[in-house]
Amino acid sequence: MNARPESASATSDISGFGASRRQFLKTSGGLVLGFSLLGPLAALAQQPATRIPASPSGGAQTFPAVDPAKLDAWLAIHPDNTATLFTGKVEQGNGSPNALAQIAAEELDFPFDKLFVVMGTTTDTVDQGPTYGSMAVRYAGPQIRHAAAAGRQVLLSMASKRLHVPVEQLTVRDGVVSVTGDTKRSITYGELVDGKRLDVTIGATGKTFGMKVAPDAKLKDPSQYTIVGTSVPRKDIPGKVTGAFTYVHDVKVPNMLHGRVVRPYGIESNLLSVDESGLKDIPGFVAVVRQRNFLGVVAKTEWGAIKAAEKLGSKLVRKGPTDGQAKWSDWQGLPAMDDLWETLRHASGKDITVAKRGDVDAALRKGAKRFKATFRTPFETHGSIGPELAIADVGKGYAKFWAGTQMPHQARRDMAELLDLPVENVEVNWVEASGQYGRNGLEPVMADAAIMSRAVGRPVRVQWMRWDSHGWDPKEPPIVQDLEGALDKDGNVTAWHHHMWVPTFSDTRLLASELIGKPVGQVHLGDAAIKYEYEFDNADVVAHGEGRVGVITAWMRAPGQLETTFAMESFIDELAAAAHQDPLAFRLKYLKEPRALAVLNAAAKQYGWKSRPSFQGRQPGSKATGRGLAWVNRDGSRVATIADVVVDRDTGGIWVKRVVVAHDCGLVISPDGMRNQIEGNVIQSMSRTLHEEITFNRAHVTSRDWASYPILTFNEIPDNIEMVFVNNSAKYPSNGGGEPSTCPTAAVISNAVYDAVGIRLRQTPFRPQRVKAALARA
Amino acid sequence: MPKTIHLKVNGKQHTVDTEPGTMLLYVLRDQLGLHGPKFGCGLSECGACTIHLDGAAVRSCVLPVTAAEGRAITTLEGLGSVDKPGPLQQAFIDEQAVQCGYCINGMIMTAQAFLDSHPNPSRDDIKQALNGNLCRCGTHMRIVRAIERAAKNWRKAS
Repeated sequence: MNARPESASATSDISGFGASRRQFLKTSGGLVLGFSLLGPLAALAQQPATRIPASPSGGAQTFPAVDPAKLDAWLAIHPDNTATLFTGKVEQGNGSPNALAQIAAEELDFPFDKLFVVMGTTTDTVDQGPTYGSMAVRYAGPQIRHAAAAGRQVLLSMASKRLHVPVEQLTVRDGVVSVTGDTKRSITYGELVDGKRLDVTIGATGKTFGMKVAPDAKLKDPSQYTIVGTSVPRKDIPGKVTGAFTYVHDVKVPNMLHGRVVRPYGIESNLLSVDESGLKDIPGFVAVVRQRNFLGVVAKTEWGAIKAAEKLGSKLVRKGPTDGQAKWSDWQGLPAMDDLWETLRHASGKDITVAKRGDVDAALRKGAKRFKATFRTPFETHGSIGPELAIADVGKGYAKFWAGTQMPHQARRDMAELLDLPVENVEVNWVEASGQYGRNGLEPVMADAAIMSRAVGRPVRVQWMRWDSHGWDPKEPPIVQDLEGALDKDGNVTAWHHHMWVPTFSDTRLLASELIGKPVGQVHLGDAAIKYEYEFDNADVVAHGEGRVGVITAWMRAPGQLETTFAMESFIDELAAAAHQDPLAFRLKYLKEPRALAVLNAAAKQYGWKSRPSFQGRQPGSKATGRGLAWVNRDGSRVATIADVVVDRDTGGIWVKRVVVAHDCGLVISPDGMRNQIEGNVIQSMSRTLHEEITFNRAHVTSRDWASYPILTFNEIPDNIEMVFVNNSAKYPSNGGGEPSTCPTAAVISNAVYDAVGIRLRQTPFRPQRVKAALARA
Repeated sequence: MPKTIHLKVNGKQHTVDTEPGTMLLYVLRDQLGLHGPKFGCGLSECGACTIHLDGAAVRSCVLPVTAAEGRAITTLEGLGSVDKPGPLQQAFIDEQAVQCGYCINGMIMTAQAFLDSHPNPSRDDIKQALNGNLCRCGTHMRIVRAIERAAKNWRKAS
């Protein structure tokens, strides 16, 4: 029931309903999977619909694209009066299917619990752009809203003909159309559509994020909303807590083999030789796949693949380039860890001016007091709990993938380029993966699987080992930032200088494509990743955008902006403290934007903020408490965060005890889903701030597991995370909520530590030894 | 050489042919089709693969299948189903204590074994019990609330 109708009658008494103009989905014939997602409706109802289609082998196959101008690109109504929403957006653990389905159900006047969602699969969905940048609800929401509103109009005109009354005399409730005032004369959407496809043109212009769908659709007045703005339970959770849910990690396709990669010793090492002796003794071993510097193994069982890869050198700790039966050249081209910051300052790139006002140099010279600080943030890994995985079936004239990528449509184009196939011959079946928080390795692993499948002529499932994921996923880049400021004698800011050196967070080169010498993907320069809102008379804010520095880096939740907010919001706190002023009042003096003021004031109210300068002197005992404040404008969503922290002078430990978040992303579609996201952002960014740092030697990443790359654990969670929604109203269109509340955290903690013990932490992570060292220096 | 191994999983007897050195996780997932336990690290560091062995929470990614012979293995599937979730699973649903959900198997299996021997835990006890389980989405607050809810429900019922 979750796919589009398998067949449709070409005859219809409804104008505009004709034979389908595109291939219907075939979910039978060749579909032999280890599970069924088309099973009992009860089970289906618990899980967003995910189609696992047939994989017939042999011969060229083409997979036509979906036409966004057609209603059936977005919607199918089934005879039992359930419905399916199709969207090119995907779920990454954020609950976006709920929000998007709420928007659709609202406009359709359809029961939310009977509306299922098919996401991502390239043959089934419109390319609405990748699911990143907190943009799913913001951009896909209006597209889906318009498509659903157009769908309601189509269904009403069908009902008008069937019930022989004008549309104006019809009422819809829960997918049942009735004659107003005569509920006995009614018909369900399912009966109206009668198993046919909604082959009606609703119109669409533009592409991906900018696409306008059904521009003429009559939208519901938001004052009539009954589904949008309510907390509805997520449909995937019962399956996820009982083991019934199918992740991409659980997919099995017929004839499938298991692959593992063996990465180079050094990032740019060359593969010199592979000694295959003993591999044939490993039960289930099938083949070594070697293409230039790409090396992998394929076996009939996962365990066989793991053991074979281990023999060749895939393991947690590699002692050298010849540790294992594969021998690599001894590449040592990474900077020393201590030199990373200087390396960043001298990498080539392009300057991006964020703000240029007045004469900063003169103002700095004239200032009564002058301040300087440098902020440093390291490489970080996405660290998905489930390592990256993809299944590829590459045959003659076709390639099919089962993948959890955040960008199935772009990945389809990339795989076509990698495999020298027309895009039409490539299909990406999207199936949810372990949470990903940006561009982790879910796209690169597709290339690994493609190369191995092409080599052995069978579908291959490749899962990275933990060390492949920590070692080789695209990383959040390190950033170094210099700030300078001046105060006049009255404590006013007269100069603000903020320069940052930012390696790319948009390096989409697929690792395996580089290893085989056929690079796919682009290395863009680093971006500014800052929204500078303070209105100082003299300001100079510049980002030096750079290319790849050492390792592949790509976007991770609020890319760059956790770091730039750390610097900006810590430094203004330093100036406020130097001026002996309350840090909230100090910020408010230099802000005019009403939504910025609103979140700061809302957070202060919820927290119970009392005006005073930070750091009131040494507190008795080993433990000291402090409060910290910071805010951000992340692409139009405003967030202010206040936290209380406890610093243990003896151990250097920091505990974030209470967090208050005031969050303005406009109209909140799904309040509990939004709260879940904010909690996740706060905890994850606390983890990044307190613990996380990728370490490396001159050859490769050395923090390749959870012991060497610790993250936040349960003992460290706050007592409370309190949340306030600001401007949660249809007057303010829904903006992004997947990332913004990540941004203030490092600054909040740093500022609270200062308030507690009078030291400034300007480099993450704030691990105990670093805190103790700073305390000792103070 | 593959060996025939008898396993008792969720109350049912199974016979599988597998390499004796294979870790139990792969047998459960690939041969018995039980997808509750997940591969996370293979190093016993994250807890995503947690199962019960004779009622104790253990990491199946580092447990050779032969070590599980003759013992009672319980997986997430053994605690309940979509149609009939177990009480702890129901508490996770009630608290909406999932983001991506990949770690949740470990959270529930670890918490269940803990609650079985600690029916009246404090919040700090719960945090301590779960401290070796990693969640990357940051669902910790809800996970703790779900376990508190389950414990409270059991106290009410008993």
